[in-house]
Amino acid sequence: MNRANNPEARQLARTAAAWLALLDSGRASAEDLQRLDRWRAADPRHEQLWQRAEGLRQRFQTVPQALAMASLDRPQASRRSVLKRGLALAVLVPGGWLLSQQLPLAVWRADLRTAVGERRGVRLADGSVLQLNTATAVNVAMAEHRLTLIEGEIALSVSRAQAIEVDFGLGRVSTGQAQICLRRDADSCRISVLHGAVQVTPAQGMALALHYGDQLTLYADGSGSMGRFDPHMPDWRDGVLSVNNQPLGQFLREVARYRPGILRWAPGLESLKVTGTFQLNDTDRILELLAASLPVKVQARSRYWVTLVAQHDAA
Amino acid sequence: MSEAVALTEQTLHGLYRDHRNWLESWLHRRLGNRWDAADLSQDTFLRVLASPQVLEELREPRAYLLTVGKRLLVNFYKRRSLEHAYLEALASLPEALAPSAEQRWLLLETLQALDELLDGLAPQVRRAFLWSQLEGLGYAQIAGRLQVSERTVKRYMAQAYEHCLLAEL
Repeated sequence: MNRANNPEARQLARTAAAWLALLDSGRASAEDLQRLDRWRAADPRHEQLWQRAEGLRQRFQTVPQALAMASLDRPQASRRSVLKRGLALAVLVPGGWLLSQQLPLAVWRADLRTAVGERRGVRLADGSVLQLNTATAVNVAMAEHRLTLIEGEIALSVSRAQAIEVDFGLGRVSTGQAQICLRRDADSCRISVLHGAVQVTPAQGMALALHYGDQLTLYADGSGSMGRFDPHMPDWRDGVLSVNNQPLGQFLREVARYRPGILRWAPGLESLKVTGTFQLNDTDRILELLAASLPVKVQARSRYWVTLVAQHDAA
Repeated sequence: MSEAVALTEQTLHGLYRDHRNWLESWLHRRLGNRWDAADLSQDTFLRVLASPQVLEELREPRAYLLTVGKRLLVNFYKRRSLEHAYLEALASLPEALAPSAEQRWLLLETLQALDELLDGLAPQVRRAFLWSQLEGLGYAQIAGRLQVSERTVKRYMAQAYEHCLLAEL
């Protein structure tokens, strides 16, 4: 504790903290990374501090996200209110807070949920098959033939004439004897029809019918875009990520969905092209394959903190 | 040396005799129950015992006891509120995803350690840091949620890292 008052220790911590904040920004250049390596090598105390910083990050990475977030991000009564009003009043706060909608409560209350990297399938009461991709939360109300996609991605195959309606925040889709894939991101949602035809009712705008091979993306601002995709291309339901000439940045953003922890890459790598079919259950292997086929190198600071840099930049 | 210790024990004894009831009832009013109040008052005296050099200079025993007692009360509250939030979150997890009974307690201990590590950070800074570390949010997303610039988020992150690194020294 007393070392924290030592001005030299404070200065070192400040320097290391600035490095960490730069790395997390995802904007560190290859040059920055070289400078960091030089800083670490310059003094054993630097390296020692850096190791501690890594340990610190790992402590946060190894706790389950939803539980840790709910516990550590609980509302904090001020010291003053605890002393003045006492504990009985102060401790009531979290209960009330849990009723609020703005925090990811809906996610951990969800009926079905998958963790990062997990995929699972369930058979619903009417015989329909629901598949959940990585980091997905779904509420199921089969008595009302209704599902709610809270976050993540699902595939739904409805076998009966009775349609199932799926609410995805930006609208809802009614699926009769058809098969769809539905993906909900922070500010957009994508509906792809794998079989048959469905009816989409956006929260803003007119209802429309989608058919086999159609892909509709809706955005939070009310806009949307219609396209086509190839329903025969293998995808996450087959446990693979299949791409053809895709920019590396876009590819890695996809891989990151399946991988706990931080995955970053030097900005210069963004537009390298990737082609291939990759197994989603081993993202470490995907990164190895990239390193083998592209001029990139994987720097793993820990299992949860991986950076891709250009090969010639690697130390 | 032994003389100083004897003096300390004697002083502590007097302190305990003269002020324990008073401290316990002060804590009782804030905690709402006698058992926790008794525990915390006991802890307060133990803390005071652990720092004898201060005791020797004690001019205002009640003010001093209250300073220590308040600190313990605030820590007690933090642990309680963390436990409370944690248990509620556990209760709302689907059973299949809930950790085993043994894991629950290990996890609570880990979370308490992290909570202490973050203690003292400004609420916005703490939040930005948690979003980054636990949810893996980028600075742009954090900036959007907090309604601040990305530059500010980066500054928050640096502050939080510095705080945690120093707390671990």
